[in-house]
Amino acid sequence: MKKITLTLKINDEKYEIITYPNRTLLEILRDDLLLTGTKESCGEGACGACTVLLDGLPVRSCLLLVTEAKDCEITTIEGLAKGEKLDPVQESFIEHHAIQCGFCSPGMILTARSLLNHNPAPTEEEIRFAISGNVCRCTGYAKIVEAIQALSNRGRE
Amino acid sequence: MRLPPFEVLEPATLKNALSMLEKHKGKVKIVAGGTEIVGLMKLGLSVPPYILSLRKIKNLQGIKESKGQIIIRSNTTLREIIESSLINDLFKGISQAANLVAAPPIQNRATIGGNIFQNSRCMYYNQSELFRNGLKPCYKAGGVMCRAVKGGNRCFSVYQSDMAPALISFNAKAKLEKSDSSRTILISDLFTGKGENPHSIGENELLTDIIIPIPKGQYSSAYEKLRIRKSLEYPLMSSAVFVSGNMNGEVIDARIVLGAAGSSPKIIDKASKVLKGKKPSNKDIEAASGAVLQFVEVADNLPVPASYRRKMAVIYTKRAIQKALKDLRKDR
Repeated sequence: MKKITLTLKINDEKYEIITYPNRTLLEILRDDLLLTGTKESCGEGACGACTVLLDGLPVRSCLLLVTEAKDCEITTIEGLAKGEKLDPVQESFIEHHAIQCGFCSPGMILTARSLLNHNPAPTEEEIRFAISGNVCRCTGYAKIVEAIQALSNRGRE
Repeated sequence: MRLPPFEVLEPATLKNALSMLEKHKGKVKIVAGGTEIVGLMKLGLSVPPYILSLRKIKNLQGIKESKGQIIIRSNTTLREIIESSLINDLFKGISQAANLVAAPPIQNRATIGGNIFQNSRCMYYNQSELFRNGLKPCYKAGGVMCRAVKGGNRCFSVYQSDMAPALISFNAKAKLEKSDSSRTILISDLFTGKGENPHSIGENELLTDIIIPIPKGQYSSAYEKLRIRKSLEYPLMSSAVFVSGNMNGEVIDARIVLGAAGSSPKIIDKASKVLKGKKPSNKDIEAASGAVLQFVEVADNLPVPASYRRKMAVIYTKRAIQKALKDLRKDR
């Protein structure tokens, strides 16, 4: 197996990477670039902890071959805040106690960010559908839905 | 879970992709969305020397209308299908099926071609290498026994696509291309019925188009899916129903297709016959859905018992028929 060189655009920064082709985007993010905000949990696409945004849409980075992420805009949780200023979704999650152990939070927050970008005033049903691919074992989802709803309502005012 | 070694092929045109498939015949796995193949490779269930990415082939995506039919290019994502008003207006059952596949992050990547060509599953086969090494290989793993059915003389793995039954209910076709020729066949003819190797596509062939004829006259469709929770699950049993007729609910034509009821989707002609040529009463709907039972080939190899899935085949078919008939009566 030959090594390959590729460029990834992550959080508006370009990274030159030399790696074997049999790597997932998740492995590159965590092991090579130390962007450990993206979590590895099930590793088989079932839990959503490894969610990142690919061209603005949530995807499983554990099921994404790194070569498939070339030429795409990748957003991880590290790219959401602007310096010290948190993204409104992050603030809302904190305000509404929508974070407990925090393991699902990066994926959940990115999924919510993408939903609100595409649909600024989602209904509760739309919120629940959007986050249905992200498993949280602590909050029971109610607080997470409330945190996203709060931003949705804000969008409507 | 690490991936086994492989080389990546990234053709920029369909022509190049087809010649690469020919050159490396039998040694290539295609990555369209990658949501299934990457998982299989992680488990060591697929160890291809080459993977061929469709990523760079730009014109292999999109939905268009042409000469009374809709053509969906094979690398079109399920999200595009869900968001297509054309598909939702013309083929409700197909739209419903796409919407019920897994959850949005999977729908954003998974493609229609990949969904059709997903492998069949069994809870004794889709396991880690450590688990599988502890037992004798089953039919699907190249052995001569079935772990799900004691004394079983064939593989009982389950084909769990949501899209295939819905497409078959509309008599959809698949265009398969290879470097020197192409052929168009019914999607229902893509299946062998055998769990070991459920698809009949050649190793040098690539699915390029899904062609769905737009039915004439008044028609409707529906898709119902059994799963334990409302997201991220393959169907444990599903039913796709197409009916055509008039606004009074008199049925001219009907097609009922079961998903996850065996190693391939099953067209249940016996059930369709009950509905055809009449305005189906509740008793007729009961009879049509009851008729599917004898065609369900299930084993205890998914998270719910076969006996339960068998019962649900009837219930979910009944629901899909009711939904489709109700829609048929609507003023359009």
